[in-house]
Order: sequence, then structure tokens, then C-alpha cells
Amino acid sequence: MIRSMFEAFKNLFKPVHTVNYPATELVLPKGYRGLIEYDKEACIFCDKCEKVCPPGAILFYQPLEGEKEYRYNPWLCIYCGECVRACPKPQEALWQSETKQQSALKEDGANEGWFVWEAACKQSREDFKAAKIKNKSEESV
Amino acid sequence: MKKTIQIPLGSQHISLLEPIRFKFECENEKIIGVDADVGFVHRGVELACTRSFEFKQVGYVVARVCGLCAITHSLSYTLAVEKLLGYVANDRIKYLRMLMVELDRIHSHMLCLAHTAENAGFEALFMQIMADRELVMDLQEAISGNRVQFDFIAIGGVNRDLTPELSALIHKNLELLSDKIDTLLGLFDNNWSLSLKYKGVGVLTLDQAYTYNALGPLARAAGLATDVRVETSDFPYEALGYTMVLESTGDIHARNFVRLREILNSIAMCRNIVDNLPSGEIQEKTKGKPSGEAVVRVEAPRGELFYLVRGNGQNMLERVRIKTPTFSAIPAMMEVFKGSEYADAPAILASFDPCMSCTAK
Amino acid sequence: MRKIETTLPTLLADIGTFYEARKWHFLSVNGIDLGEGKIELQWIFSRYGIKDEIVIYYALSDYTTPVPSVVSLIPSAFMGEREIVDMFGLTVEGALRGLYLDEDSLPHPLRGES
Ligand code: SF4
Ligand code: SF4
Repeated sequence: MIRSMFEAFKNLFKPVHTVNYPATELVLPKGYRGLIEYDKEACIFCDKCEKVCPPGAILFYQPLEGEKEYRYNPWLCIYCGECVRACPKPQEALWQSETKQQSALKEDGANEGWFVWEAACKQSREDFKAAKIKNKSEESV
Repeated sequence: MKKTIQIPLGSQHISLLEPIRFKFECENEKIIGVDADVGFVHRGVELACTRSFEFKQVGYVVARVCGLCAITHSLSYTLAVEKLLGYVANDRIKYLRMLMVELDRIHSHMLCLAHTAENAGFEALFMQIMADRELVMDLQEAISGNRVQFDFIAIGGVNRDLTPELSALIHKNLELLSDKIDTLLGLFDNNWSLSLKYKGVGVLTLDQAYTYNALGPLARAAGLATDVRVETSDFPYEALGYTMVLESTGDIHARNFVRLREILNSIAMCRNIVDNLPSGEIQEKTKGKPSGEAVVRVEAPRGELFYLVRGNGQNMLERVRIKTPTFSAIPAMMEVFKGSEYADAPAILASFDPCMSCTAK
Repeated sequence: MRKIETTLPTLLADIGTFYEARKWHFLSVNGIDLGEGKIELQWIFSRYGIKDEIVIYYALSDYTTPVPSVVSLIPSAFMGEREIVDMFGLTVEGALRGLYLDEDSLPHPLRGES
């Protein structure tokens, strides 16, 4: 009893355990799993990253002509790194950085905006397929 | 005339951190009947695993069942799928997986101890244990790259390797931690006010433990010698210095002691793992699609976690059955409440270490 | 893992002769949808203190046949039984719906898509 009272008294003069966030920056450990970053120049558009991603945070928009457009939802991503492991050109086309994502604001459209984009991507694939079939049948005619 | 009164505990209550509701039938202060409602956070994970995600992705989905034992969920699922694929991990992978599971056990047990102290009215001890727990959380963050969702285990291996700096950090933090656990052992044993709330309260007898199929620390505190770590041969636990911790009284005090001594045992095992890490690849390619049925049991911090996975050679699995530790502990839990004082209910509940997001999945 | 086939009418007798509280740990009741209105029901046990010994009693059934309750033999089975009632829309004697699901939830989420 007396010892614990002594301990309690001593604790009054100990430094605090907590960090004064956000005034003091949090130290992230080395190798923190942060945002996925992408370089269009190196990408070969194999879509592997899109296929393996568990929550579907990477999507490619398929225009009728020209290159696919990469889109990434940093709030949906779970930072698992599967996409980087699946990518045939890791560190060049796709890599995991150590930056931490900030929370989404309403303007970012983390949900609604993404749903629109998801639907657009799906539609673009279908349009592309339809156009391809049409082209083929036109060729064979 | 009706002599009993009904008192609810939960689903929102100051001493409860979990969404669970108990309805206690009380006679004066004594609880004579219990009814529990556990389904507040049902998310349909089992359904999602078979309808929305391919088997390679499910490992990341089941990790979201629970924040505290994310690693055991992904481990059990991965083991089950690896059995279906006919793949056996090499020793290095096994050791790294065990390391994370044991670290997870340490921090989960510390959380439980902190809550038991808090619910017994010892707020300062709660703060102290939670602060010490950061030592383990930091380790896990440094190893896996994230604080809560480790996503460390993948089919065919683990995602990250242990560097020499990390090994040094593990040794340093575990050294600090084991001293603190030693002081906690003394505190939980000798502190007079804690013993009033703990000793002889919330007793689960050995017979009850057998009848109600208690598991994990709950069963071991009652003297039932069961631990999935010795009942499965997936991991070489005996070689790394595993000893079973048994108590006999079955009260809150015994459960605390089982947890404290298991932390010490886990610390010793983690040190052994880091010192004797075999060399080898950390990730290997697996081929094929899962077909057949596999069952896996893994000792999660709260007891046995059970997975049954059935696949039919396609990307989508047929069935993923998750049986979580708290789910099976609830019958025993309800039994313990009967006959104890209403005022002790929060401390008893915390000593079970219930995890509702596991239970309702 | 050992699988033993049983049928619903003989289930209680089978498990009654097999189960000893001090020897076997009862894990859970499980259901697997087999499609076309069929279901496989499983009662899973593991042995205390012995490595890798798991016994699964299983019975094939459909969704309309009532399932006998094993609570009289294994008091802790009521959780698992309530779960399969919720998830598959089965009838188990003495087990109420509503462990996880609410009134307005899907009626039986884990049944096949039929
Ligand atoms: S890190 Fe994981 S969740 Fe994020 S984009 Fe890559 S695969 Fe998807
Ligand atoms: S996996 Fe890599 S190369 Fe392939 S589409 Fe994705 S970023 Fe491009």
C-alpha cells in the first residue's frame, strides 16, 4: 500500500507517455505501408493490379481509342501491396510509398465520386468490347 | 408476486466497449438468469467470402473480421487454403508467422488485462498497461508496416522479411516489456483492492468448463488443459519453448494470471524465434485452385479459432466457415454470470475478453 | 480429420454414444449449401490434448426437414444452432431466429442463389 502510494507520487513527476499530435509529427516506422504510386510511362496496361486488388481500389478506364486511364482511390485502398507484387514492373510502374493518406473530405468524393467512376469504367469496358465485335464483323464482311 | 427485477447491461454502457447486450434477471443483487444478444455488428463476412471475393483476396477480407486478432484470422484462412493447394510452407515462413501471432497474443492479453483493471475501478492501471502495450504495437507496426491491419500473411508465405535492425528492436522492446510484466504480476497478486474484485469472483469450475466447452485462457484458468497450440502440428511450438499455463481456481484472478504468464511465455518464444530464424525464401509460388475441404484450428489470443474452407477448383470458394473464440465462450460466460453479484458483472465480462466483432462477423 | 456420416433421425443416438464431455471438445454446428435445395449439416468435435484429431459428423438434408437439437447432450450447442437457423433458414427445435439477423434482413443469406 505504502509502496503504491509512493509510486503514485513519483508518477506525478514523470514525463507524459502520449505525443502532442498534431503539433508534434508522428514518427512512422521505416517501411510504413503507405499510398500506392503509379507511373504511366512505365506501365504496360496489363491490368494485373486491377485484377488482384481486394477492394477494387485500382480501376482502368478503357476509352474506345488510345491509352487506358489509371484511377486509384486512396481511401478505398487497404495498402496491402498485392498490386505491387502482381505488377510485372514493380518499382517502375507501380510502387508503395511511405506517405500516409489524409482523411477524406466531402469534396474528395471518396464514396460517391468513386461509384460514378466505377460505373463509368464498367460501361467503358462493355462499349469497348461491343465496338471490337462490331469492327470484327465489319472486317469480315 | 414476482420477486425478480430485470437489469440490462449494454448495448451501450460505460464499462462495455463491445456492442453486446445482456439481460440479467436479478434477485436483489444476485444474478439468477442471463440472456445475451450478440448480433449487433453482423457484417456477413462468410457470405462475402464466397460471393464477392476470389480465394486469393479472401485472406485480406477475413483479416477485417476483427481488429485485434486480424493476424490469426488471415493465418487460419491461409493455412486452410494452403492445405487445399497441397502447399507446405518452409520453416522461415512458419517462424515469421508464429512471431507475429505471438506478438499479437501479447498485445491482446495486455488489452484484456487493462480492461479488467479498468472495470474493477483501477483506472490508473488501465492507463499504465495501455502505455506499455505500445511497445508491442510499435514492434508489430515496424514488422508489418501497419499498426492494426497487418496484412502480413499471404498465401504461399509472408509479405515482409525481418531485417537485423528489426530483430534488435524486438529484443530491446521485449526486454523492456518483460520487466513491466514482472511488476504487473506482483501488482495483480498483491494489490489489496484488486484482490477484492478478483479473488473468488466469477468462478468457472472445471466441470462447467467441460460441459460448456470453454476454451482458451478461460478454460486454462479453470484447470482444463487445452490449447490448440499443442493440439495441432502446423507449427513447431514445443521446439520453441511453449509451456502450458494452468491455474485451478477459475476466478477472475486466475484468468488474469493465465494471461500474464502466457505473455511471459510468448515473450520467451518470440526471443527464441528471432534468435533461431532459419534461412529460406519468404514467399513461394503456389499453383492451382483450392478443391476439397480443409479444417484449421489456430490458437487466437482468446482461444481456439476454427476455419472450415471448401472449394471446388474454382476461383470462388464454396464455403468459408469461421468459428471465433468468443462465439464458443458465450455459453460458459452466461453460466458464470449466474449466481454472481450484479456489481461484479462488468469486471467478469472484461475478464472473458469478449470480442463482439469476431462473434457476429 | 475424420468424417462420419449420420442421418437426422439417428443423429441424437449417434452423438449420444460418441460424445463424452471430458474427452471431446464440441466446436460448432456448420451448414454447407450444396445447391438444389440440399444442405450438408456438420457437427464438429475435437479431442482434448491429442494432436490433429477432429471428428465431423455430417448429415445430408434439405431445407424443409426440421433438424433435431443436440442441446440436451451438449448444452453449449445452442449458439451454433441459432446461427444455422439464421443463416440457412432451417428449423431447429428450440432455437429462435435472430441471433445475428433482424426482422428486415435477408431471410437466409447463406442459402444458394436459387
Ligand atoms: S495496396 Fe492493395 S488495396 Fe491498395 S491498390 Fe494495391 S492491391 Fe488494391
Ligand atoms: S500491373 Fe503494373 S504494368 Fe500492369 S497495368 Fe498495373 S501498373 Fe501497369
